Amino acid sequence: MLLINCPYCGERDQSEFTNGGEAHVARPKDPSQVSDREWSEYVFIRANPKGIYYERWVHTHGCRKWFNAVRNTSTDEILKVYKIGDPPPPIKEFKNTLKSPSGEPDVGSGNFTVKKI
Amino acid sequence: MIENKIYFKFDGKTFEGNEGDTIAAALLRNNVKLVGRSFKYHRPRGIYTCGIEEPNALVQIINEHNEPNVRATVKKIYEGMVVKSQNRWPSLKRDLGSINNLLSPIFSAGFYYKTFMGPKSFWKNVYEPLIRRTAGLGKPPKEFKSKSIHLQHNVDIVIVGGGLTGLLAAKKLAGTKYDVLLIERENSFGGILKSSKKIKLINDQDPNDWIEKTERLIHNSSNIKVLRNTLVNTYNFKDHLIALEDKSVGKPQDNKKPELVLHKIRTKQTILANGHIERFISFRNNDLPGVMLAASFEKYIYRYGVVPDESPVIFTNNSSTFSLIKSLIDLGHKPKAYVDIRDPKKIEKEVVELLAKNNIPFYAKSEIEGCDGKNEIKSVTIRFKKNETAKIKTSMLCVSGGFNPDIHLFTQSKGLLKWDENLITFKPDKIFQNTITLGSVSGNFSYQNIMKEINEKLSFLEGINDLDIKLDIEGPVNFHIKELWETKNAKKSLWSKSFIDLQNDVTTKDLKQAVTEGFNRIEHLKRFTTNSMGTDQGKISSINALGIVSKILKKNISDVGTTTYRPPYAPLNFSAIAGRSTYEFYDPVRKTPIHPWHIKHNAVFEDVGQWKRPWYYKKYTNETMHEAVQRESKQVREAAGILDGSTLGKIEIKGKDALAFINLIYTNSFTKMKPMTARYALMLGEDGMVKDDGIVCKINDQHFITTTTTGGAANVLAHMEEYAQTEWPDMNVYVNSITEQFATFNISGPKAKTIMERVFSNIDFNNKKFPFMTFNNFDYLNSKVRILRASFTGEQGYEIYISPKNALTLWERIFYYSRGINLVPYGTETMHLLRAEKGYIIVGQETDGTVTPIDLNLDWMIGKNKKDFIGKRSLIRSDIISSERKQLVGLIPLDKSYGIEEGQHIIEEKNLDTPIKKPIKMLGHVTSSYFSPTLNHCVAMALIKGGNRKIGSQLYVSTSDLNVIPVEVVKPNFIDPKNERLVS
Repeated sequence: MLLINCPYCGERDQSEFTNGGEAHVARPKDPSQVSDREWSEYVFIRANPKGIYYERWVHTHGCRKWFNAVRNTSTDEILKVYKIGDPPPPIKEFKNTLKSPSGEPDVGSGNFTVKKI
Repeated sequence: MIENKIYFKFDGKTFEGNEGDTIAAALLRNNVKLVGRSFKYHRPRGIYTCGIEEPNALVQIINEHNEPNVRATVKKIYEGMVVKSQNRWPSLKRDLGSINNLLSPIFSAGFYYKTFMGPKSFWKNVYEPLIRRTAGLGKPPKEFKSKSIHLQHNVDIVIVGGGLTGLLAAKKLAGTKYDVLLIERENSFGGILKSSKKIKLINDQDPNDWIEKTERLIHNSSNIKVLRNTLVNTYNFKDHLIALEDKSVGKPQDNKKPELVLHKIRTKQTILANGHIERFISFRNNDLPGVMLAASFEKYIYRYGVVPDESPVIFTNNSSTFSLIKSLIDLGHKPKAYVDIRDPKKIEKEVVELLAKNNIPFYAKSEIEGCDGKNEIKSVTIRFKKNETAKIKTSMLCVSGGFNPDIHLFTQSKGLLKWDENLITFKPDKIFQNTITLGSVSGNFSYQNIMKEINEKLSFLEGINDLDIKLDIEGPVNFHIKELWETKNAKKSLWSKSFIDLQNDVTTKDLKQAVTEGFNRIEHLKRFTTNSMGTDQGKISSINALGIVSKILKKNISDVGTTTYRPPYAPLNFSAIAGRSTYEFYDPVRKTPIHPWHIKHNAVFEDVGQWKRPWYYKKYTNETMHEAVQRESKQVREAAGILDGSTLGKIEIKGKDALAFINLIYTNSFTKMKPMTARYALMLGEDGMVKDDGIVCKINDQHFITTTTTGGAANVLAHMEEYAQTEWPDMNVYVNSITEQFATFNISGPKAKTIMERVFSNIDFNNKKFPFMTFNNFDYLNSKVRILRASFTGEQGYEIYISPKNALTLWERIFYYSRGINLVPYGTETMHLLRAEKGYIIVGQETDGTVTPIDLNLDWMIGKNKKDFIGKRSLIRSDIISSERKQLVGLIPLDKSYGIEEGQHIIEEKNLDTPIKKPIKMLGHVTSSYFSPTLNHCVAMALIKGGNRKIGSQLYVSTSDLNVIPVEVVKPNFIDPKNERLVS
């Protein structure tokens, strides 16, 4: 259960929020001008990285406001929250954040309770 | 101290225990050693431990709804408690299932995977019933009763464990600015101080006096809250603990009060001071009743005043049993023998002296080879240095195989472990959350260092002072252990087994076999052998299993790794998780203002989302649903009907850019629409699929009211909010749910207008003045009503919106004014039938998230000249414009006496083989089907590949009894295709 810092209300329990998937996937300004491929990428294709992820949340059982968050998907740590319309913080800001629990590789999954060196 | 006597029943026999006893303590007090049968082999089992780690002594509490798998070592007795042993038939002493023990060669690791393979016909009729009958421990409870509530906490610091370490940490934090929660799983504090005599004096006081003083200090400090009988089960991210408090400890159930409290705790710092767990050693028949862990034996003496045996044999590989020997001697008893695997030079001189002084036989560098007995232990075999053996008679064997820090919660928090070569166990290494481990859980097994550790680890906190403490310790000061997981089994017989998991009956031989068969990864091995997969999660044995496997694999234990520790720490009732969310509280029930009237008129209700909607009304007691729906439908078409549509979602949209916004949300064009008119509108997802439908009422360009489907209301509002906030944040637009601000009635039928004229005598319902799809606001009953001329039945119809507080009055007045008109109240089933006759779709019935407006032949609803709306671009993707997509058509059976089933396939084959031998081409499926009382035959709608081209042709619909019905494909509009009734 994450603790999420709503930019409007403050820290609240995860159960009050709904995840809205990847952030900064802009709707094409003029959809009629984009190709089938570009349009389908907007509609269907989302990144699913292990590590730093820019995503959207909505405070459903609260202020009902949408906002953006930067989360490390391998540690579940929310590194930053910011309002819709604010520029995304550069990824280098999060370079030195907590690594995954067992120092597991950047790609792929693993579940080690004993540290591998 | 005078103890209160308590009487309880175990397997039909009445026993006497003391107040505060656990079931296990009371049984030991009565010299009962055999308390259950094992899971797989039905071997006799006794009491192995004195706490939550118990693998064997699981019982069923009959007077608590048959609660199974209760640990006898935890559950406290009370007057009148009825306890039964598990896994035995007909009785504990003579159990027929124990034949499994003799059949054990076939029950080896992976038995189920290997045995229940074939023949295929056996799966359903033989294997499954057999496995289901024998699976699980105990019998399921007879009824479910939720007796729990949930509580939330937000604190600065949680201390898990109220033993010596936890109390010292709490003492340090008393009176500081921190908001502290101290959680103890037993009903009294003290931990090791209360369950052994290892520490003689604290600050020159008796430990019990010290505990009492410390408790008083904690009690008097305003910043520490205490939870007793509370077990922390889960340590989630981010510093979120879930703990279960049992309020009924030592008391019979009281159904009026919540007995379980599930605490959900959010903290800034978690202090784990939850101690350690003693582990066992595997040897031949190490499961016999009478084998007990040494520290547990000692705990029974000090906690409960029960000496399980006056002269047990003690078997150990470490220095911890000194206090047990001393305690027995102090009580005037004497261990029968002391067997220590360690080298005589390594054994502490305190131990040697104590044994010598009391003439206790002492065997160094020796081990227990195994033990024998039928229903309980009768003798043990000792193997000496030179591999000679000797048999000693005894009725109890105390085993200590070392200690594991209780790392379960620490690893749940995703902290990392490391192997400690001196302690021969895993201990916490790197934290992942804001966790501090103190005392034995951190691998600090030295009491003398405890204060130093606490002072150091808590020094970062503000405003706290270093404490000093003086401990008088009896016996060896430093912990010493020699690695030993298993002793060599000298006797070969079917009865002789060396167990690694007592609860799941896994033997050390099973581990070896699994490795031989290639399961050399610990996670695979665990699942193949079911080692440590019981309700105790291998608390006393899982590290031993790693030790044995590491020896087979010739690897270091730290390279073998541990399996993953997952919550919960110990089993908890489902009712604790359910909390108040049961029965009527499971989901809120929403009722319309007309609900009492519906009940009075025998409505049968249907659940639509959380709403209760009348499904149909029973006119007389024996009326079937079919009869009621036919009657209601016919009456609507012949006279008039009224439907309570209050559950429809209603959303108000306001703002300077409301028009632009609504043009983007719905497919239709609203720009040229006149004020005070309405339009049936479709909402798509960006993928071009129909998401919802409803009526959009335009008050003016800055103000709209839309309706949604009953079930879709919350999603549609969320959808609008999302786009307003994220895609078009610069638009000036506000959306708000007004679903519950208005009750809605739909009146339709040829006589609808007459009724409206009678009820609202001041309003002109002339068709020219009040045409189809217009609305207006009127004063009525000292409030406002909005009347919209629209219909979902195909008949002339009106929707009335009124404040809920006046709704019932208006509803009753409508009936009052309908005297002689035969107005019928109808439910959702009739509504579905009537709209199907007209070919109107229902989102979620004709659509399933893969259907576009084009597929539904609703292209006319798409604002062709609009530059953009949500989903528009998707409607010109190559697949969406294909004419081969499934399209909505109507079906009429050629033989009018046949009925079509919803969900059936549309096929081209005239005949079907029975059984079906070759694949059959499916053209589509039936989405709706009803028997029309007006047309006197069945009408159905279906989604069919290239359906528009197939209008007029003949196809077949499958039936559930493997027949086919020939049908004609028609346009989906069965009644009044020219809409003369509707629009007039």
